[in-house]
Amino acid sequence: MITFEGAAKIYPDGTVAVAHLDLTVESGRTTVLVGPSGSGKTTSLRMINRMVEPTHGTIRVDGHDIRAQDPARLRRSIGYVIQQAGLFPHRTILDNIATVPLLLGWRRRRARARAAELMELVGLESAQAKRYPHQLSGGQQQRVGVARALAADPPILLMDEPFSAVDPVVRTSLQDELLRLQRELRKTIVFVTHDIDEAVRLGDRIAVFRPGGELAQYDTPERLLAEPVDEFVESFVGYDRGVRRLSFFPARGLSLRQDMVFEAQDRVERAREAVVAGEDPWVLVVNERRAPLGWVSARQLTEQPSGLTLGSLDKAPFGHTFDVATDSLRAALDAAVLSPAGRAVGVDADGRVLGVVSQEDLGGAIWSVTE
Amino acid sequence: MNIMTLLVEWFSDPAQWSGPAGIPTRLVEHVYYSLLGLGLSTVIAVPVGLLTGHTGVGGFLTTSLANFARALPTIGVLFLIVLLAGIGLVPVVCALVALAVPPILVNTHEGVRGVDPGLKDAALGMGMRGREVLFKLELPVATPLILMGMRTAAVQVVATATIAAYVGVGGLGRYIVDGQARQDLSMLLGGSVLVVALAVLTTLLFAGLRRVLVAPGLRAEAAAAR
Repeated sequence: MITFEGAAKIYPDGTVAVAHLDLTVESGRTTVLVGPSGSGKTTSLRMINRMVEPTHGTIRVDGHDIRAQDPARLRRSIGYVIQQAGLFPHRTILDNIATVPLLLGWRRRRARARAAELMELVGLESAQAKRYPHQLSGGQQQRVGVARALAADPPILLMDEPFSAVDPVVRTSLQDELLRLQRELRKTIVFVTHDIDEAVRLGDRIAVFRPGGELAQYDTPERLLAEPVDEFVESFVGYDRGVRRLSFFPARGLSLRQDMVFEAQDRVERAREAVVAGEDPWVLVVNERRAPLGWVSARQLTEQPSGLTLGSLDKAPFGHTFDVATDSLRAALDAAVLSPAGRAVGVDADGRVLGVVSQEDLGGAIWSVTE
Repeated sequence: MNIMTLLVEWFSDPAQWSGPAGIPTRLVEHVYYSLLGLGLSTVIAVPVGLLTGHTGVGGFLTTSLANFARALPTIGVLFLIVLLAGIGLVPVVCALVALAVPPILVNTHEGVRGVDPGLKDAALGMGMRGREVLFKLELPVATPLILMGMRTAAVQVVATATIAAYVGVGGLGRYIVDGQARQDLSMLLGGSVLVVALAVLTTLLFAGLRRVLVAPGLRAEAAAAR
């Protein structure tokens, strides 16, 4: 557990980096410090490993005042990941990862063996071990940065905007990787970002900082999106917070319609009957493996002669699907909004269609869960 | 007679290759003065440059002094020291040191100071102490620049060590000074060719040193930046 007790950083010229911080970071959880630039989130993070010394207040790790420890020794017991990875250009990947164990006096052989283990843990191929940082992509460098921070198995990991310099696709995969690692390792992670989406994705708890170095709100992501304490937090989390909040509700509970799903070899007249009986103007056509092919409208069905198969008709694209077991209401809503039929296609893990749901039905479901 | 035949005759005269005034003796003297000058300069300039670059203290002062020293005429320094300490090795080495310290000092200082602040932040954040940051990060990263400064200094020293002849301690400068005095063109040319050859060899030597001393990660990075 890390506690800030009235911690502040005020520079001699009067600049306030952190005004007054009382905050408890729970062990084994990911706490995200988020806020616009100049809100003191990075300064607060750097106080934990004494890269910045607070001018007021106390910071404790598991009850011990960090000022009681020699800074270098304290830092060796806390993992540190920075924005541009900060890998040593003159050292191989393996030796970069082995840095802290070597500082701690491990034998080279043991430190390298540990480094090799970590490369595997963060998803780097062992062929990369002998390469140099400049030979790696930004995303791979950041994986090395994470491996290096974990090398001496510290209980605490400080991450200062680690993924902000990589492109969005790589960022998402690094975030997934971090979530997977954290499920495995259960470290106390303090993560700084200016990206509220990243905060919501990664954080068990989120601390929103406002300019001037004040803590505006400290809450779980769900509560932060549901009940921002003031206008600043509300505008910072974004005006689509309502939609984003839907990520916390699983799509599992949706009732999907199966009566509007037909196979490609089914005939037009069958679908026509279903459209009348089901009072719905769209049917989804799937192939024999139940993979979606596209939408057929009620108008097409009345215009086309009986006897034709549905497979022979022109179909509107089905857009993207949502995984009923793992996706959230947000993914389902997005799929429905983007679909030309205004209906979302729910699939299982193998991409087989389980059923469809219309925007109207989704609206009802959202109403009932968020009430 | 053209220059080439003059040179061939001069070099092929067996009398040139033996005795206290022969090419081997002069060459050894010249290399010795050069090594002494460069070695002393390195021992002075690298630690000072590392210290000012690492701490950031005294950086302006040392680079200003180095630039001032660059403006000194080497011959002037030579005769000044001769006046103070008399004829001999001391004025030669002092003049060479005055010549070689500035490029090494400035490059070492800039090399260390130019290390990416993000790397220093990472080094400190991982728990390195000042000395560890200097020797495990700053020195290796600055090595290419330090070697470049040493190479510049070395080539200048090899070319300038000819001044040893003015104060009577030999070296390849002997041929140039004597050749001029005696209006002996072949001797003047022969001495010059030897000095040039030695300077080229020095450059090659530093290319080799770079291969050995600079980490492959930095060499390739420098190549990519080019």
